[in-house]
Amino acid sequence: MAVINPYYPIPTKIKEIIPETPSITTFVLDGRPIDFSAGQFAELTVPGVGEAPFTPSSSPYAEDLEFTIMKVGRVTSALFELKPGDSIGVRGPFGKPYPLDAFKKKEIFIVGGGVGFAPLRSLFLALVHNIKHYKKIYIRYGARTPQDIVYKKLIPEWQKIDKVDILLTVDRGDDSWKGKVGVITVILDEIPVNVNSAPTIVCGPPLMMKFVTQRLVEAGFKDEHIYLSMEKNMSCGIGKCNHCRVGKFYVCKDGPVLTWKDIKDIEEPFI
Amino acid sequence: MKFYLLPSNKILDFIQGLSRKGPVYYSQLRDGNTHLVRFDPDKDFLPEFKGIRTAENIKHFFLPSRSTVARYPDDEKISAPHQVLFGVKSCDLRGVDVYDRIFLKWEPIDPLYKARRENTIIISADCPEPADTCFCNLVGINPYAEATADLNFTEIESGLLFETFTKKGEEIIKQFQDLFTEPDKGDEKERQMIRRSAVQKLRAINEKQFRAGLAQAVEQVDEEKVRQARDECVECLSCLFSCPTCYCFLLADYKKGKNIERVRVWDGCYYSGYARVGGGMNPRPKFDERFWNRFLCKFTYFYQYEEIYACTGCGRCNSGCMAKIDIREILWQL
Ligand SMILES: Cc1cc2nc3c(=O)[nH]c(=O)nc-3n(C[C@H](O)[C@H](O)[C@H](O)COP(=O)(O)OP(=O)(O)OC[C@H]3O[C@@H](n4cnc5c(N)ncnc54)[C@H](O)[C@@H]3O)c2cc1C
Ligand code: SF4
Ligand code: SF4
Ligand code: FES
Repeated sequence: MAVINPYYPIPTKIKEIIPETPSITTFVLDGRPIDFSAGQFAELTVPGVGEAPFTPSSSPYAEDLEFTIMKVGRVTSALFELKPGDSIGVRGPFGKPYPLDAFKKKEIFIVGGGVGFAPLRSLFLALVHNIKHYKKIYIRYGARTPQDIVYKKLIPEWQKIDKVDILLTVDRGDDSWKGKVGVITVILDEIPVNVNSAPTIVCGPPLMMKFVTQRLVEAGFKDEHIYLSMEKNMSCGIGKCNHCRVGKFYVCKDGPVLTWKDIKDIEEPFI
Repeated sequence: MKFYLLPSNKILDFIQGLSRKGPVYYSQLRDGNTHLVRFDPDKDFLPEFKGIRTAENIKHFFLPSRSTVARYPDDEKISAPHQVLFGVKSCDLRGVDVYDRIFLKWEPIDPLYKARRENTIIISADCPEPADTCFCNLVGINPYAEATADLNFTEIESGLLFETFTKKGEEIIKQFQDLFTEPDKGDEKERQMIRRSAVQKLRAINEKQFRAGLAQAVEQVDEEKVRQARDECVECLSCLFSCPTCYCFLLADYKKGKNIERVRVWDGCYYSGYARVGGGMNPRPKFDERFWNRFLCKFTYFYQYEEIYACTGCGRCNSGCMAKIDIREILWQL
């Protein structure tokens, strides 16, 4: 068997580009250069520019691979210059999937902020694919303004699915916004699940992660049931280059999702 | 244990024979330091096996400061050179052992490291004259090889007394059997004496052991101790780049004709941008935190994974430090 070079990015074409917000875009790739399970991530290469890690936002069961990406710096800016038909590179899948077996028969409480909805969408679609196994799925999502909400067209469809409960909030509303206003914790005042058994899954910007985790611990979720996406600097994705380490964990290999039990003794784990 | 004696007048023949397969780097004394120098039949052969580890870092041979790890979109094969390292010291073997665990034992394996490692023959030499900077004995290593190399030798009066550690090593002895002779009991005795004396010298250099529970003590250090330890540091990073166990790297892409080269370059955790993430957040913005990360990496985390320290006691960080910071002093203070 040929040895697979883990550093080689598989060339893949961009099929479609879907703007989500002024700074966030979904890139639909042509086919599936890699397989993955919800929670795992990939390294995307912009040819000649470099790589950055991203989690697929599409269902692991879907035909095409999708990523929802926020423009923040060098690699992401180069990515935003690309057009349908252009080629990028994909390496992966890396890291551990969400333990979906452990979520069976339970209420699942998902909390997201900003572009953090990307990996959560993949998780959500994987759960919906086998919805009979789960008791109920809750999503709590916060964005800065109504304009900054991702998947605006899809959310109303998801809200119609049986056993799915979605609540949104924005930091600052506008004339058209009829929903909640305030930071994410305003929709976490009421926690409608059995905190003794329910897993809760969180992804968002560092400060949001910090405050949401505090709130979830306070609400009584078990430390080992709080699943947190860790954003760390990454280069290799395979536990060799050392960049992603937080405490004794290699986020690329042991994560990218760690539980509060794993990281609660680390000072400022989200930064 | 089986021994093989290479008489002094056959060393050159042996090296010449080995060099037919690929470059042989043997230890040579220059400007007071040993270096692994490429054997050249047209130049004087000046081996020096008594001195301590080479000034340069052995990791160059397995994880060069810049090396291509992939080419894309055309997935061209990347070759690994055949090479022989002759006269490597025990501390540097521990460095290779640390790399073997990271790149070969931990899944997934790194095929590029593997290819280099497989194409390299490591022949180690006992270390009879430790220097003041050496402290292999404090990190659980003897000044002579006990594994990892393919072959090891002790320099004795009558020549080099070899033993084998791997199949590769046995094959070499077989291939060159005409050069070797049967040692006698006196030769083995001589080896024992040389080793015992080296261990005694190291004990005299480093009388004090590191404290029990070092891994935990490093993790629980108080901020004041870190501040004192790094006080004189000028952030030149010499300690990182000369260290045989530091392994951090970055992948960087360069256009080359129609293809793109993905190059692995050494990185160091003392750089302020090392752990910075998109958007500018930085988990270790203060130099104190970065300074101590090196200690955590080597003495706490690697120890938690593998029950050995990712420090070989080679002392390169001490001898290269402009501020004369001695890692031993810092660890003794804990
Ligand atoms: C597991 C994982 C999944 C992720 N999933 C998503 C996702 O689904 N969607 C999404 O939008 N984001 C995601 N991210 C975040 C995403 O990876 C970053 O936003 C991305 O890396 C930014 O890259 P950039 O080059 O555009 O940003 P930049 O800010 O230009 O660069 C970021 C990287 O380059 C280095 N760098 C840049 N400038 C310097 C400098 N001057 N000195 C030193 N180093 C520098 C930084 O150390 C950093 O690693 C994820 C991150 C992780 C770890
Ligand atoms: S640390 Fe030990 S093996 Fe290495 S050069 Fe010094 S005495 Fe020799
Ligand atoms: S930390 Fe210093 S003594 Fe230890 S292996 Fe690295 S360079 Fe050698
Ligand atoms: S990204 Fe290289 S070790 Fe995790």
